[in-house]
Amino acid sequence: MSAPSAAAPRGGSWMALYGPLLPLLAICLVPLAFALTRTAAIERDMRIAATENMLWVVSQTQMEMLNLAVTAMSPDQTEDDIAHRYDMVLSRLALLQDGPQRRYLAELGHEVTVGQIERELRRLDPVARGHSDELHDALSGLGLDLQPQLKRIATDVMTAEWTAAAERLDDYRSMQRTVVLAVGSALVAALVISWLLLRNQRRLHRAEMMQVRANVMLERERNTSAWYKDFAALVSHEIRTPLTLIDSAMHRLLRKGETVTAHDVAERHAVIHDAVLRLTRVVETVLMAGRVDEEAVESRLAPENLSALAEKAIADAQRHYPDREIILSSSATGLLAQCDRHLVGHILGNLLSNALKYSPPDTPVELRLFAQGGRVACAVGDRGPGITPAEQDHVFERFYRGRDQMTKPGTGLGLALSRELASLQGGEVTMESWPGRGSLFTLWLPAATRHDA
Amino acid sequence: MRALVAGIIALTILSGRGMALADAVVLTVTGDVKDAPVTFTRAELAALPQHRLSTSTTVTDGVPVFEGFLMRDLLGAVGAEGETVTAVALNDYSIQIPISDFERFDVLGAVAMDGESLTPRDKGPIWIVYPRDDHPELQDMRYETRWVWQLHTLDVQ
Repeated sequence: MSAPSAAAPRGGSWMALYGPLLPLLAICLVPLAFALTRTAAIERDMRIAATENMLWVVSQTQMEMLNLAVTAMSPDQTEDDIAHRYDMVLSRLALLQDGPQRRYLAELGHEVTVGQIERELRRLDPVARGHSDELHDALSGLGLDLQPQLKRIATDVMTAEWTAAAERLDDYRSMQRTVVLAVGSALVAALVISWLLLRNQRRLHRAEMMQVRANVMLERERNTSAWYKDFAALVSHEIRTPLTLIDSAMHRLLRKGETVTAHDVAERHAVIHDAVLRLTRVVETVLMAGRVDEEAVESRLAPENLSALAEKAIADAQRHYPDREIILSSSATGLLAQCDRHLVGHILGNLLSNALKYSPPDTPVELRLFAQGGRVACAVGDRGPGITPAEQDHVFERFYRGRDQMTKPGTGLGLALSRELASLQGGEVTMESWPGRGSLFTLWLPAATRHDA
Repeated sequence: MRALVAGIIALTILSGRGMALADAVVLTVTGDVKDAPVTFTRAELAALPQHRLSTSTTVTDGVPVFEGFLMRDLLGAVGAEGETVTAVALNDYSIQIPISDFERFDVLGAVAMDGESLTPRDKGPIWIVYPRDDHPELQDMRYETRWVWQLHTLDVQ
């Protein structure tokens, strides 16, 4: 496996990840732009519409005409007042005939009407003709006569404005629909974009997870290869030694040839038997460790009598060390552990074998059973040299051998394996050591109750 | 003295009919000004610094050229102190205009359009004209209502 590069695939897949977003972005932005232009058009339209206050202009003209008529017939008005009113009417008529207003009236067919009105009014100009009662009467009469015409213009303007307003409303409504549609589709596109982004992010995340997993695998592979290296060293020592013992025993028997006695055979047999047992244990331990690594060890948990397990382990150990004293004590009878009996047998066998191996032959090994805080424990104590504080940190590491113990047979796997097997059953192995006085290794297991049995 | 000079200038410019108009009061400023009310004849208005302004309007075609005085010059000449002026037209149209308008924009009190004097028969004697072509923000209904034509009274508050 090669070291994975994070940058290369990420750069290359950018288009693949974000490429589909570009058309969607267009789908999102184009309707929005369209909606914007439509609303801008509405705004412009309303601005123009608002300046069309023709009805007001026409009404003002009609009103000024009426003012003139009333003022001209009133006896207590001065000539100046009448002239002023006359000017006002003319100014409104002039306004009506200015560019935009003239075109508006022309559309309604009233352009000529307004022109005629102005001409008729101009004929009675007080500045040109001089004030007189006749003129005032004529102005008043004309002002009243022109009322219906102006009123008709006002009516037509109003109708036109209302029609235009209604049409404009229709326009706005259809614009509104398109805008709603545009914004709606933009929203949908935005949703799709978010969804795609989320999905891409998830993909990236997944890719990263796979990378992490790949790294873990790589690490494990490295560990395995280191393991094999250590395993090779182990084989060279732990397996070759008993094989050499067997080989030399056989050679001795062969050398004796005809003179071999039953005693010789029995002696060599004991050596060979011991070597084979030692080999078997090494192979068992290694196999077990391999199965733990493969996560192939199944623990069949059941309530087990801890004393019975301890007694069996002691009996097994006693066979290898028939001369050693192993003392079993228990703080209570009938302690039950929730555990797998074979795994516990393996752990206790290892702890006992260590204790026997690393303590002087004339000292006893003690095995004490007790219960504490919902757990049961089996403490294996020896009176050996103990473990120095510096070494205590490493005793549970695989292939770790105490500096002074290199000459003693051992795989360096036992304690590490014991701890792993204990944790498989929800327990643990702890260690206390007093250099010069001895060590205490304790297997803790979950307590089982009668009820479970 | 100023009135005299203005009168002489006006006499040389205006026609015979204009002469009559030149004597008549066309604008009265009341309210928060020095020596209120202050009255102006055409000639007196013509004595104020004169300006030209080309701009479109909502009621005419094309881009007429207006001539007249700046509203802020007028208010300065009468020593106006206030926030708003109420502009009243010959037809009694009246509207309030913030004086700040005249400070922010070169608002013209136009007395002539395209070289012709404005008369009460059209939009005269004075038409308040905003430079709407130069400032887009002025193309707004709220400003259109301040284009008072036939202006004859300003009340400063």
